[in-house]
Amino acid sequence: MSKVYFSTWRGEQINNIGKPQDEWEESAYNLPAQYDDHRDSKAFIGWDGVALFDEDVDVIRLAMEYAAQYQEYSEACGRCAPGRWGGRILYDQLDKIARGEGALSDLEHLKEIGKSMQMTSKCEIGKTVPNPIIDLMEHFEDTFLECINEQKPSKHYNESIGYIAKITAPCSDACPADVDIPGYIEGVRDLRFDDSLMATRQTMPLAHVCGRVCPHPCEDACRRTNLDEPISIMSLKRLGADWETDHGYDFFHPMEKKPSIGKKVAVVGAGPAGLTTAYYLAAEGIDVDVYEELPVLGGEVTVGVPEYRMPWDKYLKDIECVKDMGVNFILNHRVSQDDMRRFEKEYDATMIASGTRISKPVRCANERPEIQGYWGAIDFLDWVNLYEKFDIKTPKEVQEKQMLPSDHVDLTGKTVVCVGGGFTSMDVVRCSIRAGAKRVIMLYRRDEKTIIRNTTYEEYHEAVEEGVEFIFHSAVSEIIDENDVLKALVVDKFELVPDPDGGRPQLVKIEGASETIECDYLVPAVSQSAELSFIPEEWELEMTSWATLKTNGKDYMTSRKGIFASGDCEYGPMTIVNAVGQAKRGASVMARYVQTGEITLTDEEIMEDHLKKLKVYDKGEKITGWLPGLPREHSVVLDVMDRKDNNKEVALGFTQEQALSEAERCMRCYYIAMVQA
Amino acid sequence: MSKTINFKIDGKNVEATKGETILQVARKNDIYIPTMCYISKTSPCASCRICSVEVEGVDGFVLSCNTPPTEGIEVKTNSQELELERTNIMKLYDVNHPLECGVCDKSGECDLQNMTLEFGVSQQNFSAKEQHKTVKDWGLISYDPALCIMCEKCVHVCNEVIGDDAIDVKFGGYSSTIIPKNAETLDCTFCGECIAVCPVGALVSSDFKYSSNAWELSRIPSTCAHCSAGCPLEYEVKHTTDRSVQAESIYRVKNNFEFTSLCGAGRFGFDFENKADKDAAALSAALDALKNANAIRFSSMITNEEAHILNSLKKQLGVKLFNEDARELQAFMKAYSSVSGKLHHSATLEAVKQAEAAIIIGSRVATDNPGVRYALTTAARHNGAKIVYAHPMEDTLMQNTATQFMKYEVGTEEGVMALLAYELLKGADVDEASRAYLDGLDLGYLSAESNVGDDELLAMTKSFARAENKVLILGSDLFAHERAQNIAKLAALIEKYTDFSLLIIPNEVNSLGVSLICELDKDEEIDNVVGYNAHGDFVIASFDGANLAMPALNQQEGSVVSIDNRVLPLNVAVGFEGYNLNDIANALGLSKEYTIDYTKELPQSAGFKAIAFDDLENFLTPYGDDERGYLLDEVVCSADGKVEDVEDLPEFNGTVIYNSNPVLQFNSYTNSTKQLEKDTTLRGSAQFSAAARISDGDEVEITFGGETITRVFKLDPELKGTVALNPTFDTLSRVGGYKFLKSKIVRVV
Repeated sequence: MSKVYFSTWRGEQINNIGKPQDEWEESAYNLPAQYDDHRDSKAFIGWDGVALFDEDVDVIRLAMEYAAQYQEYSEACGRCAPGRWGGRILYDQLDKIARGEGALSDLEHLKEIGKSMQMTSKCEIGKTVPNPIIDLMEHFEDTFLECINEQKPSKHYNESIGYIAKITAPCSDACPADVDIPGYIEGVRDLRFDDSLMATRQTMPLAHVCGRVCPHPCEDACRRTNLDEPISIMSLKRLGADWETDHGYDFFHPMEKKPSIGKKVAVVGAGPAGLTTAYYLAAEGIDVDVYEELPVLGGEVTVGVPEYRMPWDKYLKDIECVKDMGVNFILNHRVSQDDMRRFEKEYDATMIASGTRISKPVRCANERPEIQGYWGAIDFLDWVNLYEKFDIKTPKEVQEKQMLPSDHVDLTGKTVVCVGGGFTSMDVVRCSIRAGAKRVIMLYRRDEKTIIRNTTYEEYHEAVEEGVEFIFHSAVSEIIDENDVLKALVVDKFELVPDPDGGRPQLVKIEGASETIECDYLVPAVSQSAELSFIPEEWELEMTSWATLKTNGKDYMTSRKGIFASGDCEYGPMTIVNAVGQAKRGASVMARYVQTGEITLTDEEIMEDHLKKLKVYDKGEKITGWLPGLPREHSVVLDVMDRKDNNKEVALGFTQEQALSEAERCMRCYYIAMVQA
Repeated sequence: MSKTINFKIDGKNVEATKGETILQVARKNDIYIPTMCYISKTSPCASCRICSVEVEGVDGFVLSCNTPPTEGIEVKTNSQELELERTNIMKLYDVNHPLECGVCDKSGECDLQNMTLEFGVSQQNFSAKEQHKTVKDWGLISYDPALCIMCEKCVHVCNEVIGDDAIDVKFGGYSSTIIPKNAETLDCTFCGECIAVCPVGALVSSDFKYSSNAWELSRIPSTCAHCSAGCPLEYEVKHTTDRSVQAESIYRVKNNFEFTSLCGAGRFGFDFENKADKDAAALSAALDALKNANAIRFSSMITNEEAHILNSLKKQLGVKLFNEDARELQAFMKAYSSVSGKLHHSATLEAVKQAEAAIIIGSRVATDNPGVRYALTTAARHNGAKIVYAHPMEDTLMQNTATQFMKYEVGTEEGVMALLAYELLKGADVDEASRAYLDGLDLGYLSAESNVGDDELLAMTKSFARAENKVLILGSDLFAHERAQNIAKLAALIEKYTDFSLLIIPNEVNSLGVSLICELDKDEEIDNVVGYNAHGDFVIASFDGANLAMPALNQQEGSVVSIDNRVLPLNVAVGFEGYNLNDIANALGLSKEYTIDYTKELPQSAGFKAIAFDDLENFLTPYGDDERGYLLDEVVCSADGKVEDVEDLPEFNGTVIYNSNPVLQFNSYTNSTKQLEKDTTLRGSAQFSAAARISDGDEVEITFGGETITRVFKLDPELKGTVALNPTFDTLSRVGGYKFLKSKIVRVV
């Protein structure tokens, strides 16, 4: 809800012209009425309408400036005849009226050109730029006529006014890393894979990873869904990265590395957030040292995500790309409180990106970590992956504790129960299958639909195919052991009872339905918490209620100046792309902070946050100008018999033919949003 | 997968196969949908929006060039609404387009002109501020951004078909232009395909610019005479007003760019014709020389008919026939046939374009045969083909095509082919003897000596896992190898027992034709050798300095056999007033009125058909089907050959030179043309320079195989290793022979 003077946003018709302010009808949308802490917005204009927050806005100039943005947005414009010339004509004609030289016929030409653009432009920018302009011409016709008839400039034509614009798209807006998705898909469609990759890398250095294992929130905001099915956005990302790798190119960086500016930043943790921070800071000419506790780089994606889902040789390319930007990595270094105190002195800023590496307990009776066979998901996956990817053997004490017959995780003949429902638990059960377990059970409190929503359809079905038993609506109530060796679990059953008030249905235990499941291992994978003992107590960093580092979610600085945090240790266990998005923003803020000592956001970032609040995707929008019914392509998956006893990559990716036909479905839903502040 | 989709266009029932767009189906069915930016051989540029159509029940327009149809839809290609918007787009295209049709090269064949007339745009109601844009001189190519309509065709062909990827779009709304990619000026192989596809006069040939109106030129369809790719082209000729020179001359070369491509040698190197009058004295000297000759040495830059005449003269005069290039190919193919049981290799350039996996070995193909390179580029881009490029030298031109560079040691081709056979025939159902042979290979030795490791072979197999169409391509390094015959047999084994088809790349424009027609003798240094387009004691040739002048390949009718095993016609672009080989043959007792009377007499035992020259077609259909000439008939041979044991692999230490031409140069004919760059330097890496103790710009004496030449050394930062590139286009002597040579290099002080 925003206070507006006038709004046509998403078809609303709010006109408070002439009404006293306290009687103003409010807009139903989260329009950016306040630009930032020290500036109000005067107007917001975009693909789906226009909103005025102030009576004094020069609407002719606003329309003209919006048309001008279209000319400036180089990445999206100039690609089609109607947009290229039409956009210019819109601007020229509006400028002519605004400077007081317009003719009545110009209004007609504007409408004619506007309509041609709406009908025939290549991308949504061309199709939508005329929308708010025509709205303004209709609703403020008198203002336009006055300028034309009296041949006078519009009311603020000669003043300096701040207009701030950003290009966006529904998918990019839904992406935590704000990836230029239409840009990288266009690169695939045009068979210009270097361009595709560079479009991704502007905000996302992990193209191989996020082309494979991203939960793709973008696809839930794909406008194509309104027509038939969403674009397979994620799978198209890996084409650029695979191209670079296959052809042995040097890394295609979207920016040139700046010369050293003599500033230093320490990064704690070499996972996705740490790598991302390092990449973008290094590009700014800042020296970056990344400290990593493990003997390998990559964080949870390396030791958590299994080889069959994220092949190490591909992830290594992403990591090498970061290295190539000139980043220094220090492995096998567990950062201590003293280190942190030293970092604060020796470096200009520090990014904490240490993730969440403690498996939370399932909270049942007799849950004691010393029980043999009780094995936290993080530790379990560490040893699986270190062996499978690096041949690092499981140490003696772990072998003994977890009753392993040899130097790696071999579960032959064993029964494994995993409690979870997210990606980590899926990794545990599928790795258990590959480690030879006789029976693998996933216990989940909720239902099939929810597990699919929390992971992906593919992930769940592949696990089922491979032989994982899913037991829904159930939870462990007690661990049964014999001399500290796990023997069985008592499992309670639940049913969903609808909330009569229409809220979320409640899980209610079914009395007498509990059963005992004999098993050798219980792997809790319900969630993870952050291990932050390396942070000096005297810093008294503010924490969230779920024991992660607190920031304002915009600049990613903790309560201590110069100490930043991003990724799971800030947000709690979340996705790779979320960590990347946070770290990218954090790096941008840090790059300015180390030079000025100020915490600032760029206009681009402020606009990004506004648009996320407003939400770019409109699932009720009717799509025109596209043929419906073209099915989404599905990446070929290795046959279950060819995959369940090994670590071969399961998703083979698109064939070129599939990729091209999928890319061709993309509607290039670029939009321009502009604020007058 | 090959499900057909039935739908209607303008009421007509049509069907599409998977992957086809509405526009493609319309064109297949002769239904017209106007376009400005569409080009058949690339992915849709989708910039003009003129091909929009209506679909019953769908709001708004649907773009036909990039939308595949769905079952049962009814497409309407025309309506008042469409007409209005298409006209509006044409009006937009015309905004500020310079009114200089009077002097524009494109006038008369300009898509913008044609479509402006088609849509009857005589005025426009809107305007935009004019911008000053300057003409860019990119060497052979000139770009005028003011004329450019930003259709992006040039960008697409350069990247998707040629592989240079040298042109970029600089985005910026109305100020968008085409720019050289990552460079100040155009840095490319100058194929000129961007000129060909440009629908307006924005990209033009710098040489042709302002020299003629399009409608003054007449078109002579022919086949490119520079390499064996057999690219179709049209010479455009005009009578010059200057009567002191020739009556007519070639102004430019064009190609059917919708479906075929040309390299820069074909496009810009067209003026290699010979000039002569009938010199009776020279003819009689030639006849004497032939009568006294022990041998005729000739090159493969001749037609099938000339080859046939030479072969007849061999019998008539009892002389030997020398042509090392064709003889080596002949021997190679004979060995191939002895295992494969057939005369001709199985693949074509079209098969390469369709491939999802390819191995190319023994050719620096980007310069040896651009047609093969373009086919590989097409496969790489459009099919995502995995391409193994096996060669002792990297080639940066192939980097964005090849997915795996398999570097082997110079001279170890036989070992590499044995390793490939071993890897590709794993699990194949081969006969017992072959299996025993493969099992008996000393893989460790072969890998160690050739430097091709089993990890590389496994990586290759892994990358080919999903491929269906596969091609093995063999270059001329193999034909001239000491162990050529066994290499051919190994290749035949792969072709026979796997789903790889096989393509061989003949060295010269008609090496393949000559090898099929002539009985050749091993070249030797003997007295009284008459050279025919080759060196000799008496030279009869179409190049400068011959004792008797002959017509060049753009001055005669005749045919050649291309890499596709296709017999292709050549036509007369410019006349020749002197004698030709048929005159000589008639004087020596043969009897035919015209050279082309031999066309139908070409040996059917080699697959030629008894088709007269005048019955050879020379066109592509509007759908892109190649209707030129005919394909050789397959000929069955006895498959009694056996693969032999691999011999000890040779070593090439020290400074080695590789006979390989720079971009756009092939032979003395390309060397004689006006526009093509003539870089005769020896090009080597920093490592080569250190090993040979020479520096950039040094004049050096190169001694190899008993021959010494002098060249200027050029340090090429794109090269690596201790092999340098030695051009051959400026010499006549180096035709045939293994192209890598141990050499001694001395700086000339």
